[in-house]
Amino acid sequence: MFDVIVRNGLVVDGSGAQAFKGDVAVKDGRIAAVGAVQGEARQEIDAGGRVVAPGFIDPHTHFDVQLLWDGAARPALEHGVTCIVPGNCSLSLAPLRAGDRRQVVGMFQQIEEMPPEAFTTAFDWSWEDFAGYRAAIEKALSINVAPLVGHSVIRLWVMGPASQQRAATADEIAAMQDLLRECLAAGAVGLSTSFVDTDENGRPVPSRFAQFEELDALCAVLGEFDRMLQCVPEFFATDITIARIDQLAELSLKHGITTTFSPVFDNAATPDNVPRIMARVEEQFARGAKVWPQMQTRPLDLSFSFLRPSLYFARLPRWSRILRQDLDVKLHALRDPETVAKMVADAGPDGGDKMLGRLICRGGDAAPAAMVGRTLRDIAAERGQSCAQALIDLSLENGLDVAFLDASLGHENSERIGPMLAHPLVHIGASDGGAHLASFSTYGDTGYLFSEFVRKTGAMSLEQAVAKITGETADIWGLKDRGRLKPGLAADIVVFDPDTIDREAELPAFDMPGDGMRYVRAARGVETVLVNGQIAYADGAYTAARAGVVCV
Amino acid sequence: MQLTRQRRFVTPGPDETVEALALRALPDQPVETAVDAIKSWNLHIFAMRKPAGLLLGSDVVFVEPPLS
Amino acid sequence: MTPRADEPVIVSADLVAGHDGSTELLVRLRHPNGAEGPVVLDEETGLRLMKNCGAAGLGELVGQSWRRIVEGS
Repeated sequence: MFDVIVRNGLVVDGSGAQAFKGDVAVKDGRIAAVGAVQGEARQEIDAGGRVVAPGFIDPHTHFDVQLLWDGAARPALEHGVTCIVPGNCSLSLAPLRAGDRRQVVGMFQQIEEMPPEAFTTAFDWSWEDFAGYRAAIEKALSINVAPLVGHSVIRLWVMGPASQQRAATADEIAAMQDLLRECLAAGAVGLSTSFVDTDENGRPVPSRFAQFEELDALCAVLGEFDRMLQCVPEFFATDITIARIDQLAELSLKHGITTTFSPVFDNAATPDNVPRIMARVEEQFARGAKVWPQMQTRPLDLSFSFLRPSLYFARLPRWSRILRQDLDVKLHALRDPETVAKMVADAGPDGGDKMLGRLICRGGDAAPAAMVGRTLRDIAAERGQSCAQALIDLSLENGLDVAFLDASLGHENSERIGPMLAHPLVHIGASDGGAHLASFSTYGDTGYLFSEFVRKTGAMSLEQAVAKITGETADIWGLKDRGRLKPGLAADIVVFDPDTIDREAELPAFDMPGDGMRYVRAARGVETVLVNGQIAYADGAYTAARAGVVCV
Repeated sequence: MQLTRQRRFVTPGPDETVEALALRALPDQPVETAVDAIKSWNLHIFAMRKPAGLLLGSDVVFVEPPLS
Repeated sequence: MTPRADEPVIVSADLVAGHDGSTELLVRLRHPNGAEGPVVLDEETGLRLMKNCGAAGLGELVGQSWRRIVEGS
């Protein structure tokens, strides 16, 4: 008797092999059989017309804090993600001394944009070491977690305030090595470091004060444990990224480790960025180095409001001049009919329809609820105004605190990005799940992979796309128990409709501690998600299953 | 396998100043000229760093302009 | 500030999407060796550059010295 049999599905096993019609049986949290399965189960799931695939793995997230009160990392799980990697970009919540918490909270808030209540009311700080943090999140996980330990917090533990001031001594580096060993033994999947992040005051995070020799010493420890190094290089700066690739390659070859850097973006203004990066990656792989670039599937969106200075209107000199002034001067100008008439005229003979009509009223601020999620074109038509006039008036009516989204302004050319994502040396990831909460949604990149690059452009087959975010990801990260539908492996399974899987529209949600706001996207087309053999999500709802584990 | 030539860079030593780094990288030039050159080739450091002028051990500092 | 003949100058400026949802400024510098290279400035630095140059539009940045980018940093 099996525990679960998923019957009659199109089995896409995560290896990249051709899909086939069949069943997947589960027993004791593991895949027991794949194919035409005979026998019975306590529970059967009819997957007719649906894909049955390994659970997706998201290798770049910042769910470190959220996991303390939400073991499903909502909404990641409902998108079919069954394993997440938190602790990226040099920041994790352990090891962390009680006296250093405030400092690290500031760094987390800079990246995650999480409300202060998330750190003061949502959980009890019961740990200092990595094993303690692991125990704290393991109490109620319904998603699997492969946590990185952050270089910045290791440095802070050993050096205190000097971690953001100077190079480490030989003794301090040795102490960091010992601490990293302890974290890896306690279940860290690797080390993360950052070359770009800052704290809430704009000061570089501790990892950036490290000499290369310090990183080299820590990578020697990663080599002892055969674990990963993740880093964030400078964005859009091709020459610097290539320099980072060479540094990572040196570390990979010297210590026999796998490294990954994220994110890599394509952009019309720097069209040779990805081609040059990939050429260097290919050269380094040919030497035997493992340097995996992570690329996200979703495009980059811009947002702005009249409340804060922005470059957004730098192509419209009059708008730019007015909107960068102090608030009272700005308000005075925006209330002057003559000035506004000139601004509207500058937006084009169509009153800004072509230039501004596509903007979306985001919500989560002072925007009236009835406007949220609608285009400026729609709002303007309802008001009987031009788009430019409606943008100005709607902002004025709400204290200028109305944010607008201009979607797909970077990393948006699917005809270019599809082949990049399909490249055998590109690691699909970099979602940043759980970060930038108040700026944009970081959820649903897997659904977008299928809707945009399998169904719409055909850049990848269904089997390729599944393999990219399951089997290949597990191989890169050394997650030997996951990523494929194969007897004996952990039963992380997603059942989805290949014709509809997608991400829904971005909307504000007030579900953070203290009614804090974040932008989210719900899933479309994902029907059932099993984590270690238990149904964690089905029919549009999360279950009470808590079968997630910390996995390496 | 031979790697293709890329832009040369150094990383700052502990407590190294931009003047010291400039002289290390461009020893044949007067210090002011060398510092100007290093700054103009490394605006990712000298335009946006807080506090301004802070050099970090992890910085990639180019010692030549982009390759033509 | 008129750029000297032997120093990098801005030859183009464009807006790009930052990874964090902000609007960033990509300026392309031409160096004395004839090579051109992009520099991406975050929103704060981009706004400061426009102010340093007294520019309200991107076109007014063309021809400016690289020194304008570091002024006031």
